[in-house]
Amino acid sequence: MSTAQVTAYVVAMFEIASANDAVSAVEDDMFRLARAIESNEQLRAALNDTSLPSDRRQKIVEQLLGGKAHNVTVQLVSMLVGTGHISLLPQVADALVKRASSSKQLEVAEVRSAVALSDAQKARLAEALGKAAGRPVNLKVVVDPNVIGGLVATIGDEVIDDTVRTRLDQVKSRF
Amino acid sequence: MNVFAVIVAAEDPSQSHHWLFPEIGEIVYGSLASLIIFAALYKFGWPAAKKALEARTAGIQKELDDSAAAQVQADADATDIRRALGDIAKERAKLLAEADTQAAAILAEGRARITVEVADMEARATAEVLAARGRIGDELRAEISYLSGVATTDAVRAAMDDRTQQELVDNFIAKVGASR
Repeated sequence: MSTAQVTAYVVAMFEIASANDAVSAVEDDMFRLARAIESNEQLRAALNDTSLPSDRRQKIVEQLLGGKAHNVTVQLVSMLVGTGHISLLPQVADALVKRASSSKQLEVAEVRSAVALSDAQKARLAEALGKAAGRPVNLKVVVDPNVIGGLVATIGDEVIDDTVRTRLDQVKSRF
Repeated sequence: MNVFAVIVAAEDPSQSHHWLFPEIGEIVYGSLASLIIFAALYKFGWPAAKKALEARTAGIQKELDDSAAAQVQADADATDIRRALGDIAKERAKLLAEADTQAAAILAEGRARITVEVADMEARATAEVLAARGRIGDELRAEISYLSGVATTDAVRAAMDDRTQQELVDNFIAKVGASR
């Protein structure tokens, strides 16, 4: 049921974003918002709290995204909140990113880093990952302090992990 | 003359022919009367007396016989009682011996059971001590591993300055770019 709903929302959002010529912006906003919701339990609980009126939750989204996201993104997320399907946002965002990337013949490359990357680093990283994947990539960078240092990239089923966290885990497993 | 005077006169020795000897007639009559009496006594009294003596003798003999029989019976009873006492003593000794045997058996069984239980308890205690030692060792190793992991992570995180982070990113890009 949720898969069909996710597909329906993705198709609708992609069409709306395309009609507004904002596919890249919307899918990027959605991706970042999804990661923010995943990493923030308080925000996730507030948006999923059905005891709060939907207009109140919609205002939370508007305050969260106001000025930082495309207007279409704000409207689409508000729609998800209004229909009570905000819990589907991470899946919808990932599927939307994938669909948007496919439309541009790109492979989605999700990279987690302990620190924010500069534009130059992102460009070099996208190029390097494109070489590794054999096709251009749509780079999505998530700042995740848990990796401590280094990067981990996920392209489809392939994972390239060179993080300090993984090395420490390997050392710990030897104890 | 009154009667008293007659009696006194009759008793008066001075009135007899001799103060010591009776008259011949009295002697004859007295002797005859005595013979008659003795004859009668011999004829009628002696058998009865003899019979009474014989009965008395028989009674005494019977009593003697009864006493002898009673003594024999008493001796027999005494023997029976002594035998019974001997049996009782033997039975008592037998019961005491059986009781001692049973007590010894119970004691031996109790000692054996207690020995087994003590050995079992010791084995269980040893196993529990070993298990606890192993468990504590495992927990200690896990705790040490966790703490060392946390300490290592904190130390590494503290060592991660911006330059190091950038170097790690650049190294990753270079490595991935060089992979194909």
